[in-house]
Amino acid sequence: MDLSNNNKRRITNSFIILLTVALLILMLFPFFVMLVSMLKSSKEIYHIPPYWLPKKPTLINFSLVWNTIPLANYFKGSLIIAFGTVVLNTMISVPAGYAVARLHFPGKKFILFAFLITQMFSPVVVVISLFKIVIKVHLIDTYLSVIIANAVFTTPFVIWMLNGYFSGIPKGIEDAARIDGCNRVGALLRVILPIAAPGLVTTIIYTFIYGWNDFIFSLTFLQTGEKYPLTMGLYQFVGRFAVQWEQLLAGAFLAILPVLILFFLVEKQLVSGLAGGAVKE
Amino acid sequence: MGDTLLNPRFRKLKGEVGLAYALLAPAVLLMVIFMVYPILYVFIISLFKTNKLAKIQSFDGFRVYGELLSSKDTWVVIGRSLLWTFLGVAVKTLFGIIVASTLNVKYTGRKISRLLFIIPWASSIPISVMLWQWVLHNEFGLLNHTLKTIGFSNPPVWLGEAHTAFASCMWVDIWLGIPFMALVFLAAMQAVPQTLYEAAEIDGATRVQKFRYVTLPGIAAILMVATLLSSLWTFNDFNTVYILTKGGPAGATNILITYVYLNSFQWLKWQKAATLSIFTFIILSTVSIFYARLFFKREEI
Amino acid sequence: MKKVFILFTLIVLLSVTTTMLFANGQKESGSEKSSVTFWLADYEGIDHDYVKEIEAAFEAENPQYDLELLVVDWNALNDKLTTSLAAGTPPDASIIGTRWILEYMDLDAIVPPKDYVSKATFDNIAPGAMEAVIDGTLWGIPFAAGSRFLAYNASLTDKVPATMEELEQDAITATKGGNYGLIMPGAKHSELSDFAYYFYSAGGDFFDANGKSSVNSPAGVKALEFMVKLANEDKVVQDGFMSQNRKQSQPIFMGGKAAYVMIGAWADTEYNKMNADWEIKYAQIPPFAGSKPAPLIITDSIALFKDGDNLEGIGKFIDFLYQDKWKAPLDKQMGFPPVTITAAQRPEFQTPMYAAMAEANLEAKGWPLVTNWPEISSIVWDANQKAFLGQLSSKEALDEAAAAIDELMGN
Repeated sequence: MDLSNNNKRRITNSFIILLTVALLILMLFPFFVMLVSMLKSSKEIYHIPPYWLPKKPTLINFSLVWNTIPLANYFKGSLIIAFGTVVLNTMISVPAGYAVARLHFPGKKFILFAFLITQMFSPVVVVISLFKIVIKVHLIDTYLSVIIANAVFTTPFVIWMLNGYFSGIPKGIEDAARIDGCNRVGALLRVILPIAAPGLVTTIIYTFIYGWNDFIFSLTFLQTGEKYPLTMGLYQFVGRFAVQWEQLLAGAFLAILPVLILFFLVEKQLVSGLAGGAVKE
Repeated sequence: MGDTLLNPRFRKLKGEVGLAYALLAPAVLLMVIFMVYPILYVFIISLFKTNKLAKIQSFDGFRVYGELLSSKDTWVVIGRSLLWTFLGVAVKTLFGIIVASTLNVKYTGRKISRLLFIIPWASSIPISVMLWQWVLHNEFGLLNHTLKTIGFSNPPVWLGEAHTAFASCMWVDIWLGIPFMALVFLAAMQAVPQTLYEAAEIDGATRVQKFRYVTLPGIAAILMVATLLSSLWTFNDFNTVYILTKGGPAGATNILITYVYLNSFQWLKWQKAATLSIFTFIILSTVSIFYARLFFKREEI
Repeated sequence: MKKVFILFTLIVLLSVTTTMLFANGQKESGSEKSSVTFWLADYEGIDHDYVKEIEAAFEAENPQYDLELLVVDWNALNDKLTTSLAAGTPPDASIIGTRWILEYMDLDAIVPPKDYVSKATFDNIAPGAMEAVIDGTLWGIPFAAGSRFLAYNASLTDKVPATMEELEQDAITATKGGNYGLIMPGAKHSELSDFAYYFYSAGGDFFDANGKSSVNSPAGVKALEFMVKLANEDKVVQDGFMSQNRKQSQPIFMGGKAAYVMIGAWADTEYNKMNADWEIKYAQIPPFAGSKPAPLIITDSIALFKDGDNLEGIGKFIDFLYQDKWKAPLDKQMGFPPVTITAAQRPEFQTPMYAAMAEANLEAKGWPLVTNWPEISSIVWDANQKAFLGQLSSKEALDEAAAAIDELMGN
């Protein structure tokens, strides 16, 4: 009985691994192309038929990227915008998400729906009016303006998402904590958040990536080159007459790394830590 | 008796209402300052003649609405956008659930694969779309080269014909959305209490049954929210089409949002762009209300 | 679990402080320096360190000014300018495509530069480059001007076609060697250049004397039919041309796989990048038999914005920038031949490509200076694609386009 169960598990596991590999190939094929292309010289990248792997792998594209754009400066800009967006967003969305998920108040449906409306208008159509507001409140050419715009556009998602995650948590758990002497805020911090941690991590990663990849607000609100984030920098390789593919892809590769590192860290610290802690209880 | 029971409850509720508004205040305030005016402005300029810098000139009523609604092109584009959104969201959701399920199984190397699945999401959308443009290139792209190597001597020119161009754009949009869906579902699956699975196991449930009766109800709330939001984003995904085909060949991949962009920043017809945005709003509101009905009905049970 | 919380709080606090620090970190310019802003389009090849050098040199020479020389991606410049103009806060001056001048005049957004820029600077600009003259007034200072020309791969063909019909035959011959005869982008991009090459070479004009669209004139139909024939009948055009725009198709030529391409000033730069083992040569885009040569010329200008707050300062800067010492290296980086007379005589601009461009300049024709050009060019692009795909005949497609253009222009 035990043996057959084990066998069964082994078979399903190998099936899962096979499926994962197939899905990964599907999802990562373009990045395989990115990896091989950024190691090719200009001559190789335009060879017909294309080479699978670079004939003479070269790192010259990275030094070209380094010499063409102030990479460190752009990284700084992107980090400030991305972290700023995460912080501002978390500060306003977690309380709001808790309120809509766990409290009863009139107008709840209306508020939830109103948040959603902002997602129905693409930034393309509202960016001019937003720009006028940013000038009115004297935030033009500041990171804060970009951070606020990104936070505004991510808040509805985070609130709806947290609403989903929070309301999935059985009411009994929170009540138990409150009987133990926690007030609502205490219960939110000590009980609800840890259980919803995987969800919270997802929303944090979402907002980070949104801020990290911002283009339209940085383009519109920032007026000095020193403040540009990486996305703006990368566009310098997408010219008017030609695309510098090998350099663009090298730069894009560098831009992905911090996000992956962050994800790796957050994942380790928060998902396993918090979720594990909650399950133990 | 009713009174004594109701009173404390009522008091509790009242405190709750105050707390709720206090918690909501910062988010609502930011929205009001930064979103209400821009959105109202879209409504307003749809009713006025505008100059090329979106400045209001004179009242025009619903003239442009009528003009657009009586044009066959508008309906074709709206129909295509709906197809685009429906197919896109359905396939993203399906793939998202499959990927999340595989990641929710414990095996060595799961962490690595979870990290790998994030990569497409970590890259900025315009850059990812450009990367696909490079992959899909019929001469330099490795996709057609692969197809040729494994025996398809004549692979399609993906972006060169109406149907394949639409399918390619769809696939790129779907590909962009899968990691997000997978991660959101994975988080929801992890929050499903382990005890429920154990109970199901004791009852002798199979894997499929466990998925059907434990996982799916456990992630239902998130599933609804994610598909709803995904519909809004997919409908408004402007980068994919604009970068890959600019709506071509011969308009075969034009969707409402690319049409909005063309009319705004490219052609400076702000009134028309605003009116098309209002159409978008009406369509997406209808979808959302339909969803919200389902959502709140579920919650009240 | 506590540890994790402490870590989390730390991260939050840290990022709050950094955000605060940097978010409001912009320094108030306390001194009496007046700021001057100039938006420079990010042409291929521009060295950003060199731009910084120009900025520093100007400020050192004119300490009363604080210059902000912002390099903006070409594809985004238009959007950024539109937004800033709509809000009434444009830069003092910016590079623009010359055809945008009409839209800006329409909006009363720009001023003629002659009151702010010195006569010496204007006197040194080649008269042929002064495209933005409307009713006798110059509205934009020429910044870059480049005619389009024909480039060919000398190891695949040695024929220099004198007419379009010859080009067709030469391309057919070149195709027999297993290469492509001619590069022609068929995917929509922001410039209508390819249709214009053939259309102008057939003696066509986008508008007739009454301002009506003449894109469906016999010249237009002849041009489009010829293009369709090259692609679908002669099959001398690269495979999958309908999926390739300019940026995606020209590398095939640069990779040595095609005999001819119609191209512009960036050809040399792209060719040099390839370390190619074949030789590139330059010639003129030929006219159709019986027509006069009329290569397309594209010019960019500097526009001074009415709402800019330091037009005096920007005039000074333009005078500074247009000295050979600063402008010529910039021209060299961009690959465009100089618009200034003295710089054009420098030895670095005496290459075969510049010679071909100089010759082309003599007969060249620009875009029509009309409003709504982006939409018109989109309409004509759609007509081209319909003809390529065989949905409509060339005549039908262009008739449809002409009707749409006339409606748009209120004719």
